[in-house]
Amino acid sequence: VSCSMAGEEDFFLGEKRFKQCCQDFVKHSQQIGDGWEWRTSKDPGDGYLSKTHFQVRNRHIPPDLKEKNNDNTEQMLFAQVEEPSDDPQAAGACSTEEVVRYEYHVLYSSSYQVPVLYFRACFLDGRPLTLDEIWGSVHASYQARLQEGPWDTITQQEHPILGQPFFVLHPCRTNEFISAVLRGSQQHHRNTNYITLWLSTVGPVVGLNLPLSYAKLAPEQSTDAAVA
Amino acid sequence: MTDDKDVLRDVWFGRIPTCFTLYQDEITEREAEPYYLLLPRISYLTLVTDKVKKHFQKVVRQEEISEIWFEYEGTPLKWHYPIGLLFDLHASNTALPWSITVHFKNFPEKDLLHCHSKDVIEAHFMACIKEADALKHKSQVINEMQKKDHKQLWMGLQNDKFEQFWAINRKLMEYPPEDNGFRYIPFRIYQATTERPFIQKLFRPIASGGQLHTLGDLLKDVCPSAITPEDGEQKTQVMIHGIEPMLETPIQWLSEHMSYPDNFLHISIIPRPTD
Repeated sequence: VSCSMAGEEDFFLGEKRFKQCCQDFVKHSQQIGDGWEWRTSKDPGDGYLSKTHFQVRNRHIPPDLKEKNNDNTEQMLFAQVEEPSDDPQAAGACSTEEVVRYEYHVLYSSSYQVPVLYFRACFLDGRPLTLDEIWGSVHASYQARLQEGPWDTITQQEHPILGQPFFVLHPCRTNEFISAVLRGSQQHHRNTNYITLWLSTVGPVVGLNLPLSYAKLAPEQSTDAAVA
Repeated sequence: MTDDKDVLRDVWFGRIPTCFTLYQDEITEREAEPYYLLLPRISYLTLVTDKVKKHFQKVVRQEEISEIWFEYEGTPLKWHYPIGLLFDLHASNTALPWSITVHFKNFPEKDLLHCHSKDVIEAHFMACIKEADALKHKSQVINEMQKKDHKQLWMGLQNDKFEQFWAINRKLMEYPPEDNGFRYIPFRIYQATTERPFIQKLFRPIASGGQLHTLGDLLKDVCPSAITPEDGEQKTQVMIHGIEPMLETPIQWLSEHMSYPDNFLHISIIPRPTD
């Protein structure tokens, strides 16, 4: 399948369409209780999608993702055995299960004209998770996808509306894979919600999953409800 | 235009005299002397403070040392903002030298990005340049460059080499002869009083009729509160690289001549001093 895309302005996501897709997305989320909401900032025109969820996390870190890290606290965590220990003494001061608060935000990048996924996680005492700690809870098959996906890197960046550190999936190649899929979608007369399509691809890589019912999210339906 | 090239040099070689003092609660083996340094406006704190770190590490106990971070009057300083921007935004109307406090403990996770190595600074710097070119040229110029050209931009900044940097950067400042400027202007407007860290929007340097948009046009469009009505007193200053450019200045010219090395115009809106 060719991925020609130079000058294909059709599939750049304008800000208006971004907002519309987000509104439709939130409506469906409300119907199924999936927890997404639209937040506006002080600048009236500006807003973003937001979802917070809590997860019980096992302390399982795949060996090849161990981070060379200065922070002593994190060294202690990474020194855990890979299976939860029956003996609380052996596990040291940390328990093997902890509640983690995950936050996901979808913002619009006017520079690249694509949505961008910002995320962060912290323990209940407020201590933030490092990127490797977050990856530790992502299924192994998605970890492989991170290597080959159409994104350059995950880095820590300043959230452009909140001004706080978040992790970000770099957006500059989003349009490559989105365009190819949307082109096919239009050929089959299917209207696809850009946000659903994009988030269902990038989300699982960072621990965020979309229930399949989002695939039905489009004004005009074809009988085939499967997302490309 | 020899005058315009002088502006490029003046911007590049701007310095801020700074006094670094160790935070009083840091436990030391002996008294820590303050450290004085001229900071390049166009660079980043964590790129130019190796000597500061070495100086204070000598007196702080080894087990107390974690990632260094800087603070001014209680505000953690974002190392990923250029130094000149931080100064203009927080301290421009105060007496020199700029007094910065050095910390080795209690890294403010909610406020500051981590900076574990120079690679992080390079990645951030290059990401800004790429975003600026996405706005100016739909990324065409930056994508046509070789990796060694990208490296040269970074090395020029890191080693304070004006000629080395501009040998490549001049290509990022060009535009097709049929156009009169860039597609959109890379800029960010900062105000210390707002919760939002900065304002960034799409803005064209040329109006549909062909006239050049000015700095005043940009502010009116994006941040109208910065330009108070004529009948009121001007409560704020619009500052770039420590000066207040005339609002009539074409924004295309400002973008070409007064951008930081990351190719962005970083503009501060600050309270006008009352006396």
